[in-house]
Amino acid sequence: MATDTVICKNCALDSKTPGITINANTGLCQFCEHFTPLSREKKEEYRAQMDTLFASPPKHRGTYDVIMALSGGVDSSYALYRLKEEYPHLRILAVQFDNGFISDTAFENAQKFCELTKSTYFRLVLDNNLLRDTFKKASRSMDAFPGFAKYRASDMCNTCMSIIKQKIVEMAIQTKTPFIVFAFSPGQTEIPFVTLTKPFMVWIRKLFDGQLKTMGVNERNLYLMDEDIISSTPPETEIMIIHPFLVWGYDKQQFKKECIRLGWTEPDLHDPNSSNCLLNAYAIKNHYDKYHIHSYAYDLSALIRQGNLKREEALKTLHTGFSDEAIREVQRKLNPE
Amino acid sequence: MNEVSRDIVQFLKSRGFLDGKNSLNEHESLTETGVIDSIGLLQLIDYLESRYKIEIPMEIITPENFDTLSGISQSVTNLKK
Repeated sequence: MATDTVICKNCALDSKTPGITINANTGLCQFCEHFTPLSREKKEEYRAQMDTLFASPPKHRGTYDVIMALSGGVDSSYALYRLKEEYPHLRILAVQFDNGFISDTAFENAQKFCELTKSTYFRLVLDNNLLRDTFKKASRSMDAFPGFAKYRASDMCNTCMSIIKQKIVEMAIQTKTPFIVFAFSPGQTEIPFVTLTKPFMVWIRKLFDGQLKTMGVNERNLYLMDEDIISSTPPETEIMIIHPFLVWGYDKQQFKKECIRLGWTEPDLHDPNSSNCLLNAYAIKNHYDKYHIHSYAYDLSALIRQGNLKREEALKTLHTGFSDEAIREVQRKLNPE
Repeated sequence: MNEVSRDIVQFLKSRGFLDGKNSLNEHESLTETGVIDSIGLLQLIDYLESRYKIEIPMEIITPENFDTLSGISQSVTNLKK
């Protein structure tokens, strides 16, 4: 790190990152300066809202009450377990997206937690060659996603997460499932409940289509919500996305302990930021090489601000290098020739 | 530019959405010019609801109402009434 780089004295963002300014008087970045912690009243309101929603999901709609995005990593495994502990009556369909880079251990973990919670397991598989080509295009693209999205995640991870969202919303429409749960940390999202209306679904489809087009992806329909399914949906259709960690609070170390106690196994990925996907380390490095932004710095800094993570731990995570072996393995998979 | 539009620009600047840009045209598409995506839009809606103590119904979140400064500002003004 250059000697003139200043790190925000509250979080882990630094002046070397494009767009981050550290106020010379306060020593704080612009995000810490504008941060307002969530009040106790608001937290209680969110809790009551989630309890009300899950207490009585709309009856006689479909086979499931919830579609849960399950990666097999710590966060989503714990979220699935806790969801079922707190609301045992929920009928959950857990969807694991096989992006071609998921570790065998993550597949085993996901299935183990589905058995434990008596949830239905579904592995979402798309054409692996096309996916590899799409990730390669994402890694080579510049500015396919807007400025702020570059802080949120790498271009490769934004692409992968957008595919999951599109396909899960499509599944929710098809199966008439009222709720979708994503185990995003409070650093990855600030909004606990998002209602998707039909016009909004059409809009987010169009936005992702544009982003894929910018990357040069031709087989876009494979990744987007099916147009016919959306257009045949009644205009009053609504699906709610819920991010439960914004209601429960977030303590990664405690979640990991609890998951291990329940039989979760740690994969050998040599990546302090991911417990399921091999692509992650490569994606972070690629993003840093392109934009000089560490794609976990904003997420971890938000967790520090909210009191969910110690600053020292975040700085240690951000400065831990990646194993060359893990990066080379992804390179080999993306460029098989 | 009215007060709501100025607030939005200030919010977008402070949260790093403008990516080096200093100004925005009132009628420019925020999504097509790469200022926000769907998640950014939700963050903006959350900010506007808390700033103006209004509830923005999801059914009005359409490109016609929420893709430009002028559209958002008009929607917020209508909801404030």
